[in-house]
Amino acid sequence: MTATGAPASEGAAPPTGTGPLSTGSAQGDASGTAARRGRRKLTPYWLLLPAGLWLALFFVAPFFYQASTSVQSGSLEDGFRVTWDFTNYSDALAMYGPHFLRSFLYAATATVLCLLIGYPLAYLIAFRAGRWRGLLLVMVIAPFFTSFLIRTLAWKTILSDAGPVVGVLKSLHVLDVTSQLGLTGDDRLLATPLAVVCGLTYNFLPFMILPLYSSLERIDLSLHEAARDLYATPATVFRKVTFPLSLPGVVAGTLLTFIPASGDYINAQLLGSPNTQMVGNAIQKQFLNVLDYPAAAAMSFILMAIILIAVSVYMRKAGTEELV
Amino acid sequence: MTTTGKHPGSPAATEDPAPPPRRTPARGGTSAPAPLRWLRRNAVVLAGVASLCYLLLPNAVVMLFSFNKPAGRFNYEWRMFSTDAWTDPCGVADMCGSLGLSLQIALLATVFATAFGTFAAFALARYRFRGKGTGNALIFLPMAMPEVVMGASLGTLFLNTRVAFGFVTILIAHIMFCLSFVVVAVKARVMSMDPRLEEAARDLYAGPLQTFLRVTLPLAAPGIAAGAMLSFALSFDDFIITQFNAGPSTVTFPMFVWGAAQRGVPVQVNVIGTAMFLIAVAVVLGGQIAAGRRRRRG
Amino acid sequence: MTITLSGVSKVFGDFTAVHPLDLTIPEGSFFALLGASGCGKTTTLRMIAGLEEPTGGTVLLGEEDITALPPHKRPVNTVFQNYALFPHLDVAENVAFGLRRRGITSVRKQVEEMLELVELGPLAGRKPRQLSGGQQQRVALARALINRPRVLLLDEPLGALDLKLRRQMQLELKRIQTEVGITFVHVTHDQEEAMTMADTVAVMNAGRVEQLGAPDELYERPRSTFVANFLGTSNLIEAEITEAGGEELVLKATGTDSVLRLPAERCAAPDPQTGGKLLVGVRPEKISLTHAEDDDGEGAGTQANGTGARRGAVNGANGEGNGGADNRLTGRIRDAGYLGVSMQYVVDSPVCPEFSVYEQNVERDARLTPGADVVLRWRPAHTFALDATQDADAGTVEEAL
Repeated sequence: MTATGAPASEGAAPPTGTGPLSTGSAQGDASGTAARRGRRKLTPYWLLLPAGLWLALFFVAPFFYQASTSVQSGSLEDGFRVTWDFTNYSDALAMYGPHFLRSFLYAATATVLCLLIGYPLAYLIAFRAGRWRGLLLVMVIAPFFTSFLIRTLAWKTILSDAGPVVGVLKSLHVLDVTSQLGLTGDDRLLATPLAVVCGLTYNFLPFMILPLYSSLERIDLSLHEAARDLYATPATVFRKVTFPLSLPGVVAGTLLTFIPASGDYINAQLLGSPNTQMVGNAIQKQFLNVLDYPAAAAMSFILMAIILIAVSVYMRKAGTEELV
Repeated sequence: MTTTGKHPGSPAATEDPAPPPRRTPARGGTSAPAPLRWLRRNAVVLAGVASLCYLLLPNAVVMLFSFNKPAGRFNYEWRMFSTDAWTDPCGVADMCGSLGLSLQIALLATVFATAFGTFAAFALARYRFRGKGTGNALIFLPMAMPEVVMGASLGTLFLNTRVAFGFVTILIAHIMFCLSFVVVAVKARVMSMDPRLEEAARDLYAGPLQTFLRVTLPLAAPGIAAGAMLSFALSFDDFIITQFNAGPSTVTFPMFVWGAAQRGVPVQVNVIGTAMFLIAVAVVLGGQIAAGRRRRRG
Repeated sequence: MTITLSGVSKVFGDFTAVHPLDLTIPEGSFFALLGASGCGKTTTLRMIAGLEEPTGGTVLLGEEDITALPPHKRPVNTVFQNYALFPHLDVAENVAFGLRRRGITSVRKQVEEMLELVELGPLAGRKPRQLSGGQQQRVALARALINRPRVLLLDEPLGALDLKLRRQMQLELKRIQTEVGITFVHVTHDQEEAMTMADTVAVMNAGRVEQLGAPDELYERPRSTFVANFLGTSNLIEAEITEAGGEELVLKATGTDSVLRLPAERCAAPDPQTGGKLLVGVRPEKISLTHAEDDDGEGAGTQANGTGARRGAVNGANGEGNGGADNRLTGRIRDAGYLGVSMQYVVDSPVCPEFSVYEQNVERDARLTPGADVVLRWRPAHTFALDATQDADAGTVEEAL
């Protein structure tokens, strides 16, 4: 997947094609008269050229630079040279193994929570909102317009030690239970794994709700009625009809939540503690503070590889290849 | 056929008894007490509203704390009501400058990403050609990549090619990650357009350019507008990729907030956040109301 | 203006949509291309419109070769399937679209007149989605006609309408065509629609024109099993020629002694020889059905009672030379259906397992119920014969399934 290499931007002579040019379908639109055909054949390549070139230069090419950087050694003062030294990789895994583990654990937890929290809201908007549908959709998107850093800082206020949330949880002795489980400690919420997961869940919730909503909204209501007519209880209707039909939304939503969450470092930085740092924090620190570029490159390569493998396995399992 | 009559069209109306005797009919005496039944029927509504509250709670807090007069440099604990920040939004050094920079970058990134993305979307939606699969994958991949990976690798490129970090590198990065979202939005719209409409235009004496300007473009406009709005929002709010590709003198608004989070958050940050939230909601709601009125008048 | 297609063909990949086709559509005619979906009729229409480029052959409009002209340069307009009205323009702007593209700025009067013609004047300011199916259809028609095209192409224009509206629009289209006097080329899969509206029908099957002619000619004298079955219903009997060469062909239904006659000129097979095989066909409504008890043997159309008498009287009134005896078969009613205007019987006969017979619903013989033995009669002049080498089921509903 990573080596999609020479992209379509090479114009008339791109690599491996998807199929023969004319595929027997009577789609009249793409064909013209014989005189125009030669020119028209090139049209899609011209149209794709600016975007393709941009992505080739600033998305694909950087990975090659990063790949070569990841096998360099040296120091900032003496300069880095390619030495085909793979210790960057082993060092990264040895030093930041817990960071990787935490990243995927937190991201997976946040994704599951997003699904659990987001599904009822998506369902409500799609089927029960009536004329409030438009307003509710706006309400889901609206938080986007306040910078997400500001909103994440707001969680600091909400979860603060003297805040009402901690107070209520304390009086209900919930925090005792969670600290027993290692999720929180010292009667506080801030600087705990729980706070980071809560922040991640919050930040990526709209990315779960919107795909869920769009796949739910497409479901023909008469299917519900047909299921009811065929002796299904409301719960069975959901299990056998609604949920299976919303699966494309579930797949898209989980990907759109899990991928960015696993690379996020803002929530861990603002709501967590040194013990809750994720791999994003490590990459950011190596790249921007320590200026150890090979280490940063090796770590982001590992992160990318794990995500690409996980995503492709997941998508094959889920059977929804066409997401774009 | 006759049984379907019992099921009203609206999903909200679930008062009817289920056909099999498994459930007791609603009218003829119920097994569960009324409040419990109400709860069961509206559980999804309650859960949804709770989710919405979770989603909007931080915005409420941001708004509330924009009227705070904090004791120290950090605006995390409520002290007293004040409108100081609202009357002097640019009273913090560099904040409004970073806001201007962010708007400038977002605007430029939106223009380029929308133009390039729209072209690409037409190519991918309307043509069959060799390399289309590669093109689709190239568009899809940036969305399946954590920002930190994209940011770090693009930063590595600029480091290696000795490009000075600054306005241009941020703009390049923003166009790069906005492109895919524009393509997806426009492509979905173009794919749902009936190709016969363009055939009809050509049949009615419109040449290729006329067909594009008079029919194709107006029909694709909602998709293009959605893509542009998404680009603007993504670019304006981006922090991670920006942090890896910014220079020392180019501090965007999210970067300003990040820095402030370490040094002390001025109340004005909440003012900006609240103002943008209110403006956006007003614009979107206004648009929806106008569209609704037009439809009704029609 | 006359359209001439010569050797026009269209190939998509390895699928031939239209085999080389020669077709002349005379000026001022209402011409229908009739066929099942996928037969190449729409592709043919699109090649005339310029929306599809022929793989081979030429398209002439009058004397001019328009094969290479793009659609916007052809004086030809189309009423699209599902209308393809521009959703972002109102009715008046939809109708004015073609005029404006040709640089005409003062379009108001023409648009008003055209909307008047299709009786849509008050709806000029509406958007297409606010119109009913029938109204949209009229807008599509107005949008094409306002350009005064030399030829108007209609691609299944009534397909999306319900039956009653379709009937009404058929008459309306016919009226408008007479009023404006331009050539209409109409693509449809509905044989009834083609027959009511067109003065010439080309029946297409698998990329070829099976038969071309006036509706009554196609119906009365089909030249292939496809046409015989696709246009209405035909009963086809396999038979062997016992007497050829004269004015009349005499045949014997395969496996029985039943003798069948028809005029030699009504035989579509080339050069019928004694001993050769033919498919003998007759339309269900041409047959008269008599209860076996009333049958007087080999007699001609002179029965004394029941439907036979009526049919005999009709024959007599026609006064044509009732030369030979009627064709006569025996059978047993398997099924009888009440259709209102007529009764539809399915008769099992030794020569043909499912003989369809339609009887006018005038004086029903109460004995004609399933299980009754009956005699079927029809005149040789209503009989046609087809080449026996083709598939007898081509063009039937069963085949389509």
